[in-house]
Amino acid sequence: MLGVGLGHYLAVSAILLVLGIFGIFLNRKNVIIILMSIELILLAVNLNLVAFSSYLGDMVGQVFTMFVLTVAAAEAAIGLAILVIYFRNRGSIEVEDVNLMKG
Amino acid sequence: MNWTVAIPEIALACLGMAILMFGVLSKARNTFHICSLMTVGALVLTAALVLSSNGGLGYNGLFLADSYAMFAKLLVLAAAVLGVIVSIDYNEHNDLRRFEFPVLMLYATVGMMIMVSASNLMSLYMGLELQSLSIYVLAAFARDDLRSSEAGLKYFVLGALASGLLLYGISLIYGFSGSMAFDQLALVLSDSSHASPGLIVGIVFVVAGLAFKISAVPFHMWTPDVYEGAPTPVTAFMATAPKVAAVALFVRVMISPFGHLLAQWQQLIVLIAMASMVLGAFAAIGQSNIKRLMAYSSIGHMGYILVGLAAGTQQGVRGVLIYLVTYVFTNAGMFACIIAMRRRGRAVERIADLGGLWRSDPGMAAALTIFLFSMAGLPPFSGFIGKYFVFGAAMQSGLVTLAVVGVLASAVSAYYYIRIIKVMYFDAPEPAFDVRPASLSIVAGAGALFTLIFFLFPAPVVAAAEAAAKGLFG
Amino acid sequence: MLLAVAVLAPLFGSMIAGLLGRAIGDRAAQAVTILCMLLASVCGVSAFVSLVYGSATPGVVVLGEWVSAGEFHANWALRYDTLSAVMVAMVTCVATLIHIYSIGYMSHDKSIARFFSYLSLFTFAMLALVTADNLLQLFFGWEGVGLASYLLIGFWYDRPAARAAAMKAFVVNRIGDLGFAAGIALIFFIFGSIEFSTIFAGLSQHVNDVYHVLGTDFRAYEVIGILLFIGAMGKSAQLGLHVWLPDAMEGPTPVSALIHAATMVTAGVFLMSRMSPLLDFAPGAMHFVTFMGASTALFAATVACTQNDIKRVIAYSTCSQLGYMFVAAGVGAYQVSMFHLLTHAFFKALLFLGAGSVIHAMSNEQDMRKMGGIWKMIPLTYVAMWIGNLALAGVPPFAGYFSKDAILEAAWASHSLVGHYGFWCCLIAAFLTAFYSWRLLIMTFHGAPRADHHTMEHVHESPWAMTVPLILLAAGAVLTGFSFADQIIGEDWHAFWGDAIGVAASNHILADMAAVPAVVSMAPTVLGLLGIATAYAFYMVWPAIPGRLAASLPGLYRFLLNKWYFDELYDATIVQPASRLARRLWRIDGEVIDGMPNGVARLTADGSSQIVKLQTGSIANYAFAMLIGVVALVSLYLIVG
Repeated sequence: MLGVGLGHYLAVSAILLVLGIFGIFLNRKNVIIILMSIELILLAVNLNLVAFSSYLGDMVGQVFTMFVLTVAAAEAAIGLAILVIYFRNRGSIEVEDVNLMKG
Repeated sequence: MNWTVAIPEIALACLGMAILMFGVLSKARNTFHICSLMTVGALVLTAALVLSSNGGLGYNGLFLADSYAMFAKLLVLAAAVLGVIVSIDYNEHNDLRRFEFPVLMLYATVGMMIMVSASNLMSLYMGLELQSLSIYVLAAFARDDLRSSEAGLKYFVLGALASGLLLYGISLIYGFSGSMAFDQLALVLSDSSHASPGLIVGIVFVVAGLAFKISAVPFHMWTPDVYEGAPTPVTAFMATAPKVAAVALFVRVMISPFGHLLAQWQQLIVLIAMASMVLGAFAAIGQSNIKRLMAYSSIGHMGYILVGLAAGTQQGVRGVLIYLVTYVFTNAGMFACIIAMRRRGRAVERIADLGGLWRSDPGMAAALTIFLFSMAGLPPFSGFIGKYFVFGAAMQSGLVTLAVVGVLASAVSAYYYIRIIKVMYFDAPEPAFDVRPASLSIVAGAGALFTLIFFLFPAPVVAAAEAAAKGLFG
Repeated sequence: MLLAVAVLAPLFGSMIAGLLGRAIGDRAAQAVTILCMLLASVCGVSAFVSLVYGSATPGVVVLGEWVSAGEFHANWALRYDTLSAVMVAMVTCVATLIHIYSIGYMSHDKSIARFFSYLSLFTFAMLALVTADNLLQLFFGWEGVGLASYLLIGFWYDRPAARAAAMKAFVVNRIGDLGFAAGIALIFFIFGSIEFSTIFAGLSQHVNDVYHVLGTDFRAYEVIGILLFIGAMGKSAQLGLHVWLPDAMEGPTPVSALIHAATMVTAGVFLMSRMSPLLDFAPGAMHFVTFMGASTALFAATVACTQNDIKRVIAYSTCSQLGYMFVAAGVGAYQVSMFHLLTHAFFKALLFLGAGSVIHAMSNEQDMRKMGGIWKMIPLTYVAMWIGNLALAGVPPFAGYFSKDAILEAAWASHSLVGHYGFWCCLIAAFLTAFYSWRLLIMTFHGAPRADHHTMEHVHESPWAMTVPLILLAAGAVLTGFSFADQIIGEDWHAFWGDAIGVAASNHILADMAAVPAVVSMAPTVLGLLGIATAYAFYMVWPAIPGRLAASLPGLYRFLLNKWYFDELYDATIVQPASRLARRLWRIDGEVIDGMPNGVARLTADGSSQIVKLQTGSIANYAFAMLIGVVALVSLYLIVG
């Protein structure tokens, strides 16, 4: 009865996406949390791709997942590096403090 | 497998690695300088390879080198060359003389070339990320400057969010159509009953991701902050080469796989274009920082470019390509002038700093005047010709309202462009700028000359754009 | 190929002198422009010789596509036929001589590189005009020479008179240009092309086309002819639109010689010849041309008799001679009008340069009343002025004799009412021409010295750079007449012109000219000699006569001295009411119209500040905006799709 179908995967993935997006703009605390939210979004995508891939019986989706994982790693590395130099200059990684330029 | 179609990209990537190795191992004191010149050489060599390469589809349909891609690649390479040239002197003076800088620009360029040649959502994403990751680093390149690192951080976070949206869209498209190849998608969508809601949501997510890259409203918010904070040569680079690549990619995605859904997405693009033109025109009025003003200006220009895409016809795409050519050269020259704004070794970037420039440096004032008139779309400068072609295409497709809004927006934007000219000619003189290096004079002069006399010889560019647009429509 | 080099070399010189003038210095700028001009003239003359006497064939050299929008196509192309070759050879030669002359004349000026750059730019634009293959390129050259003329009249921009004159030339020329542009538009409308070959090929198809305006049908060719002539009137200073030319003398003298005597002002005549195949189908327009030309010839000659500024006398003389050319063109004798254009270029440039040499010698004095008694001190200039005046007055065997005689014969031979009007006007003008020429000569060089002691001490012959061009132009003023007369306007003119001047089958004016009575041929020469004698009697033998004559006919004298009150008429009827209207509108503008844009501007600024407020600088807000954007687009797409 409780067969797990494509719809379930998609629902989980959509929830992950929404969590990720909300994590970016509802969080007032810490830039690290934003980086985690970005990872969450990418995970949602990967889940989607794998689910579709298996549903369609087509390998392309899983290949793409590999690519996405690789790129996500590079992205995280660069993101953390930028965060480090930002912290060195500003002395804080509060999200609220990232507003030197506006208008 | 026809691997030769990507020879220019492969060559450029290998040259980039060679330059990187040289930079690491070299003991020379001016390694940065040498690497920059080598990068220019590598880019020029790649342009020659692009010109001589034979087109075709390769890598199991992931990579397509057609006349459209060739046109966009040459323009990207030209913009990248100008970007590297204007950065040399600035970096020397601002403690940024590190050899990674030109190499990052080079890899961003490789990414852009892959973007414009992408014929599959997968290669699209890889090209886009290669480009974006390089530019995130470039934006934060002034490590000791708070504004630069904030710009890098903002660009990174929002860029990653945009890629996330794009990827999510790709996954939906893949799931609901069963393919990622552009030609397969076009085939599936030629029967409009296959356009399920899931697929449509996916397309919108992809549009959102790409609209972020070309900074179209409402995905433009990062642009002013990042343009202002990033080191000026990086801003110059971001305003030209990646815009060309992203627009070219955007147009290809909308026309090639989703061309059959024109009726559905046309309204979307019309809305984005209108919002961009209007915001670009209005928000720039109160600006006092010239880099920030250029950010709003480029948002507006992207709106005009989208007018051509909204037309959805071959004429429209031709107009987009012509507009891009005029946009790149005018902007490159304009930024060369902005980089030349330096007093006693310090870069200044307020519009008021241009006061009375006409007296202290008539050549630069004249060049800026030409660029500003061109961006305002006044005839006979090149900007007018670009606008003429995109608005003409929009009128032909019956998008009269869009064209009217565009003309009104360009009238409003003329106000702030001409205000700068007024500052240069009539305001009280500020102290003269430092002597500017020949590299900036050459780029600004070449840009001004192009902008000034393009109307005399538009035919070759128009013919090339025509051929490229034809290639896209098959 | 030769033609392309001849056209582009001056542009190159101008660019170098203009853009790098400061860097390379005045000497180098002069050297570059003059070398380019020498190259251009060598190429120009060889292009002419190889076409007319050699084996070259007429054709079109396409340099590139210019505009291609829908039906409308225009190329950058050089038309290579006798008409353009003659003009190119003449323009490059005269321009080269004047470049050389300017070395001497402008030697004391502050911005020499700028002057040479403008001069070369002018030459390029003029060459682009005469070699144009289509009306758009011709218009490009037409506006280009207008721009260069504006820049050069106002060259000494610190003089208010020069600035005013430059503005006047610019504004008056725009009136003519409006007509010209309308003419081009109408041609495109009717023929669907602006290329000469296409237009001329389609002539017979559209003969009966009508153009409907103001409830009346006009034959389209007549309307086109009139519109093109209005353009020509502005450029060639014909009665009504002539007011800018005398004022243009505020520019440096070499400019007056090149632009306002030899080349630019003849562009209108050139246009008539270029469009000759079409104009032959527009007899009404051509009558108008003849009438205006004849009136101008007489009007300007009468004014020239009373002017005291040496350059203004020559300027009115130019105006008058241009009238002659239009008379010839108007009666269908295009070859004759081109011939007079050619000879006039040499002798009028000579006269201007001679006048420049006099002004140079007299320490920048231009008023003839303050000259006199200097002929022994500047003998070379004196001889040059004699030759120039002999050519202008039409004394055989100087150049003017051949061309002017032919114009009168053509006017007579046309056997139309307006042709006879032209004949009589030109005949009287011929007498007046000789009279004012010798008046100028005698007042300038003879009699008791009227300049102050200080000036007289400094009178000196000009340097070689100025005298060599004088000698060469004098040679031209002597030789161009009899050496070319037979070829250009003789029996077998077709061998010379080829198809460059196409005339309708009904046009046999050149044949008719041979049959005019001997009296007609003799009349201008006799009247010319009579004019010289009168001037000699008035100013040499009994110098009191002119003053007494002026005193006894005060009304006529003042009428002529004030140039028939044209400037005053325009001032009262156009300038004053326009500026009154402008002042009133300014007031309305200030209160009402400005109120609206100012309100809109305030609204705009407010809107701007509101939009900018959205840009909070916070990452969270930016991300939120993106999310809203996606949601909005998805909903829109789902609703629309």
